[in-house]
Amino acid sequence: MDERLVEEFRRISGPENVLREPIKLMTYECDALPHLRQMPALVVLPGSAAEVQAIVRLCAKEGVPFVARGHGTGLSGGALPVPGGVVIGLARLNRVLDVDIPNRRVTVEPGVTNLEITKQVAPYGYYYAPDPSSQQVCSIGGNVAENSGGAHCLKYGFTVHHILAVEAVLPNGDLVQIGSPLPDAPGPDLLGLIVGSEGTLAVVTKVIVRILRKPESVQTLLAAFNSIREAGAAVSDIIGAGIIPAAVEMMDAVAIRAAEAAVHPNFPPADTILIVELDGPSSEVRELFAVVEDTCRRAGATTVEVAPDDTQRARIWKGRKAAFAAMGRVSPNYYVQDGVVPRTKLPEVLGRIAALSQRSGLPIGNVFHAGDGNLHPLICYDERIPGQATLAEEVAGEILTYCVEAGGSITGEHGVGADKKDYMPRMFSDDDLDVMQRLRDAIDPRRLCNPGKVLPTPRLCGEVPGPYRQHPVEAAGLADRF
Amino acid sequence: MITASIRPGSAGDAVDGVVPRQIVEPSDANELASTLQAASRDRQVSVLRGGGTKLGWGRPAAAIDLVVSTAKLNTLLVHRHGDMTATAHAGVSLAQFNRELARHGQWLPIDSAFDAATIGGIVATNDSGPVRHRYGTPRDLLIGITLALTDGRIVKAGGHVVKNVAGYDLGKLASGSFGTFAAIVDATFKLLPIPQASATLDASYDDGEVLARDVMQVSTSQLEPMAFDVMLDGGQYRLRLLFASSPEAVSAQIESAQRLLSKPSTVVTGDPEMDVWTDQVRSPWVGTGAVIRFGWLPAKLAEITTLMHDVQQIAGSIVMCGRVGMGAGLMRVDGDVRTQAALVQRLRSSVWVGNVAVLRASHDLKQHVDVWGPASSAADAVRALKGMFDPAGILNAGRGPI
Repeated sequence: MDERLVEEFRRISGPENVLREPIKLMTYECDALPHLRQMPALVVLPGSAAEVQAIVRLCAKEGVPFVARGHGTGLSGGALPVPGGVVIGLARLNRVLDVDIPNRRVTVEPGVTNLEITKQVAPYGYYYAPDPSSQQVCSIGGNVAENSGGAHCLKYGFTVHHILAVEAVLPNGDLVQIGSPLPDAPGPDLLGLIVGSEGTLAVVTKVIVRILRKPESVQTLLAAFNSIREAGAAVSDIIGAGIIPAAVEMMDAVAIRAAEAAVHPNFPPADTILIVELDGPSSEVRELFAVVEDTCRRAGATTVEVAPDDTQRARIWKGRKAAFAAMGRVSPNYYVQDGVVPRTKLPEVLGRIAALSQRSGLPIGNVFHAGDGNLHPLICYDERIPGQATLAEEVAGEILTYCVEAGGSITGEHGVGADKKDYMPRMFSDDDLDVMQRLRDAIDPRRLCNPGKVLPTPRLCGEVPGPYRQHPVEAAGLADRF
Repeated sequence: MITASIRPGSAGDAVDGVVPRQIVEPSDANELASTLQAASRDRQVSVLRGGGTKLGWGRPAAAIDLVVSTAKLNTLLVHRHGDMTATAHAGVSLAQFNRELARHGQWLPIDSAFDAATIGGIVATNDSGPVRHRYGTPRDLLIGITLALTDGRIVKAGGHVVKNVAGYDLGKLASGSFGTFAAIVDATFKLLPIPQASATLDASYDDGEVLARDVMQVSTSQLEPMAFDVMLDGGQYRLRLLFASSPEAVSAQIESAQRLLSKPSTVVTGDPEMDVWTDQVRSPWVGTGAVIRFGWLPAKLAEITTLMHDVQQIAGSIVMCGRVGMGAGLMRVDGDVRTQAALVQRLRSSVWVGNVAVLRASHDLKQHVDVWGPASSAADAVRALKGMFDPAGILNAGRGPI
């Protein structure tokens, strides 16, 4: 990168907040999807919204691509740098600006962690609902970009349901407020578009979140089943009875084994474990929890453990939330997939995944949000064995095909990012994708804001920037978009 | 070539007093898209119409070439009751939709003051009522959408699973767009089980401060009402709390709530309960007065009641309904245009309220106030999107909100 430009970035954020040495840049070359790596030209760590604005303005003026990054916990390569581009690291923007308990909202900068919001308001009896497994470390700015979910979104929804407004820098450098601290701002829901746009439409500099009163009562049970089919039937029956649990999670034998090895939650021996949590007014939880317990037993549960207190509940959740990382205990490498199927299609799709595991020879563990059909197959492989990494990637892709064929989605909460953009055509038509590209171009005509994410790009050389046009090679039927 | 049925507009088709030149009723998505394509090519100012119940909302209409009606797009396409999702054409009425869903004990929890309100119109206006306290507004329940664009294409976004972050959420963009971007062909929603039981507490208050204190008591408690509303009519406030859950839980919560309130309250169930909420939803729309929507910070209810006192000094009697848990209100002002305009100005100058939009207004009132109020700082981005979706600028042209 041109020294003159580097000097400008130093002037904006101070020399100590502009990183260029390869050793320092390495931290930023990937997010939590480590197989996609790219060294940026430069990392800037702004300390205020005004600095973010100045950085984006400079990038816009000079035609330099930029990628916003929170705490790098994303699982789809959404914060993957662009060659020759700038990473805007928002970790220093980590102030809690306002805790307003009477109006049930908290205003924070994007680098504040998800869990920090709950910590701020817990003494008053409140919490911030979306709870991705990474909540101790992930940033709220990243949550906004990815529309993060979590185990409790069946009842409480996703990030988009809990954000009242954001302040953001648009790709042209305008600093704007999107959404409103008060209800019913007139006009189209631009906030709803920005949340989940994976950092491709704006860089968020301030977030106003809604907080909820802690429920009066929480009850959690863990039921062991001999088959995933029986556990699945229990879920259908619970929801069929008109009960919306706060969470319904399932783990299969592979995932249970991994969790035991890593954090020893002392789960009962089982083929499948179902975790069901109800929360709400005590009277409601008491009445409905009895129905849930009974339903699990009728569906064939071999044991039903009810957490008698918060410590035991924490033990159950620790086992569940540790399942991803725990895979490292039982397999040298693993690939976390994120797909969604309609809940009623769970048994069918899980059957196909089991057959695929057998066919490919790669063990696949399943940990998933059963209530909303969000699957997280963990594909185990050993990169030291030639070809296994590629095979794992193919298997992961095949699972997405099953999800789409079942009427589902290629991602429920991890995002498309750089990882899944080439799967988008499996879900969307050329026209759908073209309109999404044009929408993006309307906000970012020069394609500088987190380019190369979300929307597919033909894997062909000689592409010229501009609205998508079919490549001549593609038109001739000699190549496909991946 | 448009094959959709076309007829000349008549007085009954008037939009905000303007009789459109023609009415088109496409019978399927393709006809809808080709109608828009032709209109865009010929630069015909077009207004999309569902049930026609909120068509008057917006800035005054100039000439309208075309009203494009979704009357024939009226099929409930699929109810996946095991998955608790359903997809309906834009022209299906909310009432009809919910009648069908009820066969499997499910519903789309959205209130409308209007019997004929359609799914398309509800999404396009993001209109809501008391149950938004628990379930949010239509945008919170919408999980997929199909749109017909002015270039003749039909595109979709989202899907029919409740959890999905693939691609841009065009459904959100359609929410509250008032038909300025594209026509809604169909919409897919997540559904909820119809609660087994419900009961409503109804209490009345003369003093706004006492009301505000009781509201704060309930807000900070761990009660979980489905709706949490006030109504001001004839100088008296009513506080209305709807609990819906299992029968035992409803009784227990009603008892706890009664203990929290400083005023005596009555428990209403069955048909009278339905009447209470019908009254709550419809009162602002009775008669022909101006209807104003506004928002406030929920903890500022005492200040809002003082403001309401001032407002009554200006306008005489008003009717105000509000969702006190979030600070979302609707006010009806009868009186003459000058009074109504003064009241809108009074609300807009108050530090306690924001997002003051005049929904129903006479042509006269619309000459005096901008119904949408000041543009947001992100208006340029929204305009850029409008330019992308509707380059000829034909959709709901000039009426806004963009």
